Amino acid sequence: MKTWSEVAEVQPLASRIITNSITKNRISHAYLIQGERGTGKEEIALLLAKDLFCEDKKGVEPCQQCNACKRIASGNHPDVHWIEPDGLSIKKEQIDQLQKEFSYSGLESNRKVYIIKDADALTTNAANRILKFLEEPSKETTAIMLTENGQSIISTIRSRCQIIDLQPLNAELFRQQLIESGVSEGSARILSALTNNFNEATSWNEDEWFAQARKLMVQLIEMFSTKPADAFLFIHNSWLSHFKERQQLEQGFDLLLLAFKDILYYHLGNETAMIVFTSDNEKLERASMVFSQEKLLSILHAILQAKRKLKQNVHPTLVMEQLTLQIQR
Amino acid sequence: MKFIIQRDQLIASVQDVMKAISSRTAIPILTGMKIEAKQHGITLTGSDSDISIESYIPAEEDGIVHVENIEEGNIVLQAKYFPDIVRKLPEKTVEIEADSNLKVTIRSGKAEFNLNGQDAEEYPHLPKLQTESSFKIPTDLMKSLIKQTVFAVSTMETRPILTGVHLKLENNNLTFTATDSHRLASREIPVPDANIEFPSVVVPGKSLNELNKILDDTEELLEINVTNNQILFRTKHLYFLSRLLDGNYPETSRLIPEQSKTVIHANTKELLHTIDRASLLAKEERNNVVKLVTNDNQFLEITSNSPEVGRVAEEIAVQSIEGEELKISFSSKYMLDALKAIENDEVKIEFTGAMRPFIIRPADGESILQLILPVRTY
Repeated sequence: MKTWSEVAEVQPLASRIITNSITKNRISHAYLIQGERGTGKEEIALLLAKDLFCEDKKGVEPCQQCNACKRIASGNHPDVHWIEPDGLSIKKEQIDQLQKEFSYSGLESNRKVYIIKDADALTTNAANRILKFLEEPSKETTAIMLTENGQSIISTIRSRCQIIDLQPLNAELFRQQLIESGVSEGSARILSALTNNFNEATSWNEDEWFAQARKLMVQLIEMFSTKPADAFLFIHNSWLSHFKERQQLEQGFDLLLLAFKDILYYHLGNETAMIVFTSDNEKLERASMVFSQEKLLSILHAILQAKRKLKQNVHPTLVMEQLTLQIQR
Repeated sequence: MKFIIQRDQLIASVQDVMKAISSRTAIPILTGMKIEAKQHGITLTGSDSDISIESYIPAEEDGIVHVENIEEGNIVLQAKYFPDIVRKLPEKTVEIEADSNLKVTIRSGKAEFNLNGQDAEEYPHLPKLQTESSFKIPTDLMKSLIKQTVFAVSTMETRPILTGVHLKLENNNLTFTATDSHRLASREIPVPDANIEFPSVVVPGKSLNELNKILDDTEELLEINVTNNQILFRTKHLYFLSRLLDGNYPETSRLIPEQSKTVIHANTKELLHTIDRASLLAKEERNNVVKLVTNDNQFLEITSNSPEVGRVAEEIAVQSIEGEELKISFSSKYMLDALKAIENDEVKIEFTGAMRPFIIRPADGESILQLILPVRTY
């Protein structure tokens, strides 16, 4: 997505809101753009920044050719500031830096743009500091905040921004796209459930690690339904040695989530929505005998809980052990 | 781009420019140093976005050739490696060549380095000096202006505007003012041939400190130009830019008391040493408080008391004390800073009561003004 017309294909509403405010010269001092992974938050922020600095605009479209556009794209424009989480959260010191920036005049012009990525990662302290300059914006400053989870942004910030909601991507369309590019139908279904990013999906598809992860996930489900007593051993022997990094473990949880959701769908007869299994799979049938609907719901809850704990820095081994015990019970 | 340059010249320029480059910067291109080759000379640029320094090496100066075989062009080189490479090269001359793929070759004698450069188009565009809207003052005067005011800027970021020095040029008078809201330092100098005016610009104190370090103590003229968002200083081959602080500087002229109740004339050095001695027992956490009491018409008593440590008292003879008797407490640190800024041998201190700010000026003129708020003690 490199132009507003391309954005309009995927996000018609958001692109209309923004292009209208550009043509009418009524750009808000702060935007909060919220949408899932791959919905184009960064692209929209980049386009908006280019629009503000481009020297040779054609209507609402930035030219992409001039010096300012090129430097914004490469992250070298001195008056466009990117703030990204340092580790897991955006720290107070980063906002202090930003605050210092605010008190200086711009380097090349008086216009300044601040783009805060993953704004939900702001610590409470940092968020409260940002408030101050959202409240009293200097005249030519635009703040753009991007988030996947708009609800976890404190309400005092939300109320001071123009909120732009991005539509979730059409998973069906994405799946078709993957199948066209040579991904098998089964894989395409899983990949489209896990990510919205085309490049990520195709690279996972070729990844040995990911294939192994899928195999392990199916094995674990089978283990739970046939020999639940051995599941704990399996976790230690195979699962944890495969999902080493925090990110990998998170992906493992995502896979488990999909699998248990499928079992629940099987119960409910909603077989078309199933992602991992096909309806005539005997493992699935066996699993659905073992887990009741109620049990499945509590398992799904437990997995979500485990994901949250992982984010809060609980030791990964302990999280996985606890989850296994909860599923066994 | 291609040229052959004298290594000593290059080292000196690189060192100047490196002062502006910081390894921790948000914009990746600023970790580099820009090299621009023109037929008349080579320009090096470094920046951390707050300050930027350009150093110019003329191709030829006073009949001595510094740079030869110039092919025009520009490139950005990694500042992490370039200075060390230049310093350690074997020969007296260095050949630098950049091709269209941004590959840079540095040759000296038999040593050859191949470095990856970056596109100079990506580098921030710095404003150019406009001679018609600039004015000139001697470099050493600029240095003393900075030294006499910049110490008083605030170090706290709570009011960012106070971390800068306020510059004003009106009626051919240039005024520097700095305050952290507990004290104020200002100096005014005449600039006879300035044909521009600006009511208010605020230059970050940090930038002025850097400028002070980079300027030589000479009487050569320094050219100053104020644009919308930057201030530029230019000496013969050096070009220093700083961003300005945004916002309104508080009106300070009303803070300065016009009348006084007690006036003391004293020898600057003697007073400085006495207060310095008294401050030895003053405690930092209690604002380094010392107390001043007038005795008769000739003596001041300076005391400091820290119950845990002990007490110090010293009497000092002064030229004259006029007006009411006075007991006042103030921070010895602020007083020492203020007295050090006064170049004159004799100093005039004007008090308006123990709870009001007092001002310190050199005995002969009014161009320097230091104002200090007293400390309330019981």
